[in-house]
Amino acid sequence: MRPETKDQLRSIVGEANFSDQLIDLVSYSSDASEHAHRPQAAVWADSAEEIQAIVGLANAEGFPVTVRGAGTGLSGLSVPAQGGLVLDLGRMDKILDISIGDRVAVVQPGVVYASLEKALAPHGYVFPPDPASGKACTLGGNVGTNAGGVKGAKYGTTRDYVLGLSVVLGDGRLMKTGNRAMKSVSGFDLTRLFVGSEGALGIVTEIILKISPKPLATATTLAIFDDLEDAGRAVSGVMASGVIPSVLEILGRETLKAINQNTELNLPEVDAMLLAETDGYTQGEADYQMERVVEQFSAHNAREVKRAESASQAAELWKARKSCYAVLARLRPNFTLEDITVPMSQVAPMLRGVQDIAARHQVQIATFGHAGDGNLHPQFLYDGADQDERGRVEAAAGDLFQLAVDLGGTLTGEHGIGLSKAAYMTLEHDPVAMDLMRSIKKVCDPNNILNPGKMALDV
Amino acid sequence: MADQHPLLEKFRDQIQRCSRCGFCQAHCPVFGGTRRPALNARGKMLLLKEVLEGRLELGEELVESLFQCTTCGSCAVNCPSGVDVPAIIKAARKEMVGLGTCHPAFSGMDQVLNEHDNIYAEDEPEDFDRERGGQAEVVFFLGCVGQYREEEASEAALDLLDHLEVDYTLIDEVCCSGVLEDVGYALKPRLASANIERILATGAKTLVTGCPYCYRTFSQQDAYAPLREAGLAIMHLSQFLAGRDLGLHSGLKVTYHDPCDLGRHCGIYEEPRRTISAVAPDFVELADNRQEALCCGAGGGVRGAYAKNSLAMARRRLAQVEQSGAQILLTECNSCVHNLSNAKLRAQKFKVMTTPQFLMELIEDSE
Repeated sequence: MRPETKDQLRSIVGEANFSDQLIDLVSYSSDASEHAHRPQAAVWADSAEEIQAIVGLANAEGFPVTVRGAGTGLSGLSVPAQGGLVLDLGRMDKILDISIGDRVAVVQPGVVYASLEKALAPHGYVFPPDPASGKACTLGGNVGTNAGGVKGAKYGTTRDYVLGLSVVLGDGRLMKTGNRAMKSVSGFDLTRLFVGSEGALGIVTEIILKISPKPLATATTLAIFDDLEDAGRAVSGVMASGVIPSVLEILGRETLKAINQNTELNLPEVDAMLLAETDGYTQGEADYQMERVVEQFSAHNAREVKRAESASQAAELWKARKSCYAVLARLRPNFTLEDITVPMSQVAPMLRGVQDIAARHQVQIATFGHAGDGNLHPQFLYDGADQDERGRVEAAAGDLFQLAVDLGGTLTGEHGIGLSKAAYMTLEHDPVAMDLMRSIKKVCDPNNILNPGKMALDV
Repeated sequence: MADQHPLLEKFRDQIQRCSRCGFCQAHCPVFGGTRRPALNARGKMLLLKEVLEGRLELGEELVESLFQCTTCGSCAVNCPSGVDVPAIIKAARKEMVGLGTCHPAFSGMDQVLNEHDNIYAEDEPEDFDRERGGQAEVVFFLGCVGQYREEEASEAALDLLDHLEVDYTLIDEVCCSGVLEDVGYALKPRLASANIERILATGAKTLVTGCPYCYRTFSQQDAYAPLREAGLAIMHLSQFLAGRDLGLHSGLKVTYHDPCDLGRHCGIYEEPRRTISAVAPDFVELADNRQEALCCGAGGGVRGAYAKNSLAMARRRLAQVEQSGAQILLTECNSCVHNLSNAKLRAQKFKVMTTPQFLMELIEDSE
């Protein structure tokens, strides 16, 4: 980047909001994935106008712009793979409007998920997707990745709540999509096009979110299964039972073993553990649904079913699931957390397949995830310094993606393609779909300024 | 590489263990005050990882990040990967000082303690008209901030001890020098010996201090082991007061700020609350409390080196006080009182004081 270009950036955002200091370039080189690449400069933007000016300059000078929220992504979405500029939106963090009457919250992209949660709580409302990184991640990042979370089965993902956006396109034009109305079939659904677009089509500067009242009561149950197929059938049984649990999580054998090795929880080392939560506005409502879930667990040979009688007992049952990330993160020097998703009926075959892949490539994979929406998190545990092991992990990941697609699923349920899965895009998307995606990219970002190198778009 | 950074090398496993999840951004007070990822715990770990991989020099360019950490420890207690960031930062700073790189405010602290006996280079010790170096059951140790910057808080602590008819004495104290361990240098044996000798000479059975950092130093640092070996009970004033029936009552709405050195670093959360809530039943917690408490921004040498950001951190904590609706913010650390008072806006109507100050006001009102 030329010194004159840096001066122009300084004049757009102000001296204090520009940096090419080494410490900033290093910290902006990575996210929560294994990928890293240093940018040449970084700016903190404050308004759509500033962002338009920055994108205009990028087009004129030909430098890439990679937008960033909290950098908690797991696929390298905010890694500036081709250098250039990192555009940090973390300081555009105002909640512009909360209208309970309209069921709408309007926010800037840098608002942290937990901040909105706090602001909605006094009204008894929530923005439901509940990503695991909620205390740190930004809503702009949620939109960019179409983030989901533990409650996806019942409440869906970010996409289901975005009513409208303000977006600076890759050519610098500012566009508004959608509106504040609950229903709209007016024109193409441009809002949805931009949700999950990974910062490759435009930069979101304002978000209109649908919000929902928070259920007041929950019921929680834990069940253990000696046989994975039984657990899989139980999940399908729950889906057929007429109720949708707010949470239906699964922990596989490797995960249970790992938790036992590193905690005092003393879990049974069985094929699968299922954790279910139902919710409602009265305890009776939550309990009724839980009874249907428990019937299915029992009907499919659960060895043990533990139902929480109090909030503290529920917290006990949650302990194993909540410890997954921390326990697995500490087992080996490195890990990658995948998020393949399959139809719910294929959860058991997928888990069995993961075990086979691990054995075939001699790698360690611990799996847990959201059985209720088929979104599983096989976590590869390895030593990145060991080239041979690294190679085996990569090969195993390829097999994992192939299997997910073969079972009617997808490479990614909630983390995004980014850099991690760019090479696998054509496994899932046919040539026509790839061609259309690349054409859309070209229309929105003709000079390939925005987040180049991601999603296999710039081939 | 191992020979190049021996102190940092000890933490290689920890530094690599940082999974870059970024969850520390929710807790790091420096990030919260600046929104600059390079100053967050993850940003610091990324720098050190590159240093250990030989891709980055541990030099001047890293000072602004690595020396801008209050060592409050909130990242460490919340880290899913169990990375002890404050311990790593301390090692990195020592390594850098060894290589001749340091923030001038930090090297200044070491220099001052080479030439003087307190961190402010003051010549006239404040003795609060109390006996020094007498024979007593208890030694009360003021600490540098208490002696030279927050005299009113120290006066109140001493008045309270008088009111409770505690048999205590002050000593000709010198800086405990524990803070040097945090800022890239080492505790001064000369100063530690002087304190140990003077404390033991009083024949006291208990050493009480109003300063959480001095408490931490006396109870955890090897240099002060002779105090512990002599069987001396070492207490923070809040522990000494806990459980006493003070016969006081306040109708005011009161809240409490956990000092990092007393809370996260020493595990003392309940003793101050017991004293305060017995006197002021209308006690409310701040949004982030105990292990999750937000740092006041003063620690780790940051107040001296990065005053503007230190105040920004204090303002975030004060905003939580405002939200709580409390009329009084109490804390047990002179340094926290100092920074929070300096940062308080005129529009913020609550008062900031130490628990002993609050108690002494009630005692004076009732007399």
